[in-house]
Amino acid sequence: MEIIESLKIKEKAYIEKLENGLTIIIIPKKNTNKKHIVWGTNFGSIDNHFVDPTTNKEVRIPDGVAHFLEHKMFEQKSGVNSLDKLMSLGVEPNAYTTNDHTAYYYECTDKFYEALDELMDYVQNPYYTDENVEKEKGIIGQEIKMYEDDPSWRLYINGLDCMYHKNEIKLDIAGTVESISKIDKEMLYSCYNTFYNPSNMLIVACGNFKPEELLKDIKERLIEKKDQGKIERIYEKEDETINKKYKEDKMPISIPLFMIGFKDNPNKEQKVKRHIAIEILLNILIGKSSKLYQELYDEGLVTTRPDTGYEFSKNYAHVTIMGQSKDPKKVEEMFLKQLKEIKNNGIDDNDFKRAKRKIYGDYVIEYNDVGDIARIFLSDYMKGVQSFDYIEDFDTVNKQYVEQMLKEVFDEEKMVMSVVNCE
Amino acid sequence: MEETKIDIKKGIKFHKIVSNKFKTDLIAVFITVPLQRDTITYNALLPMVLRRGTNNIKTQQDINKELENMYGASFDCGVDKNGDNQVMKFYLEILDNQYVLENEDILKQGLKLLIDIVCNPYIENNAFLKKYVDGEKQNLKQLIEEKIDNKAKYALERCTEEMYKNKPYGMYKYGYIEDLNDIDENKLYNYYKKMLQECKIDIFITGDIKSNIEDEIRNNENIMKLAEREEKYIKEGERDIEQENNIVNESMNISQGKLVIGLDLQNMEKEKTYSAMVYNAILGGGSNSKLFQNVREKASLAYTAGSTYLKKKNNIFIRCGIEISNYNKAVDIIKKQLKDLEKGEFTEEDIDNAKRIVMSNIRNIEEEQDLQITYYYGQDFSEEKMSIKEYENRVENVNKEEIIDIAKEVKVNTIYFLKD
Repeated sequence: MEIIESLKIKEKAYIEKLENGLTIIIIPKKNTNKKHIVWGTNFGSIDNHFVDPTTNKEVRIPDGVAHFLEHKMFEQKSGVNSLDKLMSLGVEPNAYTTNDHTAYYYECTDKFYEALDELMDYVQNPYYTDENVEKEKGIIGQEIKMYEDDPSWRLYINGLDCMYHKNEIKLDIAGTVESISKIDKEMLYSCYNTFYNPSNMLIVACGNFKPEELLKDIKERLIEKKDQGKIERIYEKEDETINKKYKEDKMPISIPLFMIGFKDNPNKEQKVKRHIAIEILLNILIGKSSKLYQELYDEGLVTTRPDTGYEFSKNYAHVTIMGQSKDPKKVEEMFLKQLKEIKNNGIDDNDFKRAKRKIYGDYVIEYNDVGDIARIFLSDYMKGVQSFDYIEDFDTVNKQYVEQMLKEVFDEEKMVMSVVNCE
Repeated sequence: MEETKIDIKKGIKFHKIVSNKFKTDLIAVFITVPLQRDTITYNALLPMVLRRGTNNIKTQQDINKELENMYGASFDCGVDKNGDNQVMKFYLEILDNQYVLENEDILKQGLKLLIDIVCNPYIENNAFLKKYVDGEKQNLKQLIEEKIDNKAKYALERCTEEMYKNKPYGMYKYGYIEDLNDIDENKLYNYYKKMLQECKIDIFITGDIKSNIEDEIRNNENIMKLAEREEKYIKEGERDIEQENNIVNESMNISQGKLVIGLDLQNMEKEKTYSAMVYNAILGGGSNSKLFQNVREKASLAYTAGSTYLKKKNNIFIRCGIEISNYNKAVDIIKKQLKDLEKGEFTEEDIDNAKRIVMSNIRNIEEEQDLQITYYYGQDFSEEKMSIKEYENRVENVNKEEIIDIAKEVKVNTIYFLKD
């Protein structure tokens, strides 16, 4: 196995790519009783148009298939529901679907291998019937409704709609009640065969493991499948410009929500370095010790620090700043003023050093929990990034580079705003 | 994980929890006072004002700078209910000294800062700063108003209020907007001074602690100023009102209905807690549970369906998100599950499954620093010392008869439904 190591945080990762194309990453962690394993496939809500590698034909599928598949993976031909079975072992199983991947996992302090049998069995053996597919439409319908009532979700989706013209990231991960009505079992099998091929998948495990042993145990439980090669995905061509500046909605809430977004170019090099610089900038611009945050707080415009982040994958990238305020317009105004000021005057040395220390601490703290570690390695891998780089590349991020990113990424032309007002 | 309990002085305890599983240390200060209608809003407001500035670091911005310099240590505070008590909680999570880039003792710095925030606030003219109190009153008002924003939480909160009408536990932990007008920087400070000398104080540190940190606490000048005290707090709270099948409906513009059913186990003896935990896990503890299987999987009525057991008050809350028109159907199915449990219609396998869920939660305590703190705080509160192992054994020994006994004692107290 290939070993990568981060001396600073005293962690190692063991990586192996098997002949069938499956990649396995194991991060051993000695002092914990918790074990976490996640099996991910590079199939998310954005993958709705692709070339079937077995027929070489272009296929279009309704929105929400990846998520629907996730729901339907647990049912077994024997009548056993694998989620129930895993729960009954006392482990904590679950699954989730994102824009670019689907993941099945469990976390446990005991019965790891019994649970591994079940996980590897159900992910490799789909069982769909007309009845069980129909039944799921009711459950997912309720899930979609739950999200409809969630103001933060609406805020976010509207923000994406402002940034993107056609990019698939705008789609609701679960699809719509209308789009999922078109899903049937044949479609699920066909997508399963395409996207659940080992060459499109990754297993990450973190906990008190001996890597070579766990690797052997995983291999023993794999059924034979051939590497079918890369799946060609067809995405809508996305212009660099934003779709619209502003979108507003109304919901029964006590105080308006706002999201400021900056659309970024996903095709830039040095993504990790860029990401670190953006985190530092967000901290300097609107972090807890920033002048702007203090002003907003003093004027009663925000009560907690807005959540900020940089989201990216292979075909999208954007900055988000989300919070609540009685006057989102005023927040936007003050934010723009602060942005201009820092662009003109440059970044203060002390602010830069402090932000760097904080961001470094944040990265180290991510290595506290086996579940967080496994999730980070999985999602980074799907983006084409190596997780330890965040620690290792850290020193290379200097003020000059950060100032360059400030101009490049925090460009007013690429800025959007989404607001959810009170009814 | 090992806890050492050290009496700093009467009424003030230090809990040192040594564990080498983490890259961080977690420091916490808990202040416990009885839940009372005339002080609840004061206690909710206090942590918010205290976080604004100390006598040494006068602004929040400067506190935050200090925290960022400690590699982004994170400070958090808030209030919670614990039985019929209100607990003001202050936390500081900080990188363990072995991972910092220069040779610094940031644990010591962090501890000092946290104690400063709690015990040594910024005072002018023998009062809190007016600007801070006025600002935080606004923020608290907003926090109270936000209650409606998360519909699932709101429904649970409302159900609790209905069950504990006019009882301490029925109060909202953040207090009441109508109290705010009357609170000013003088009144709040006078209340604070008195409260700080009478309350129960618990200081916790968990992490890979190597230094003799208890001396730091004992010799901290703010701690030295605190008096010995008879801790005033409520060990056994008031029971809920004797009521059955109290039905409450409320309307809001929403697309999914939120159903919360509050169950009562009010006459249960303390030793039966473990059976109640297993009972709850069979009823709604996970995807094997009666609720998940019957409300979600078989009837396809819900996406969320489950229950939680509130140990301190001996209540179980059933919670489902359902299509509004399916209300009657859902209530019928849920009531049938309760009846089935009473009749003993569950298998040994159901019991084993439920126990494993409970056990895995127990084992998890050691794996998360805030859970460790909550666990030892709970033990201190109930004045019992139980190892994780022993806790597991108690759950393991629960048998079917004991679960049926619980099922027979369960009464539906309130059915609350939030609809359109």
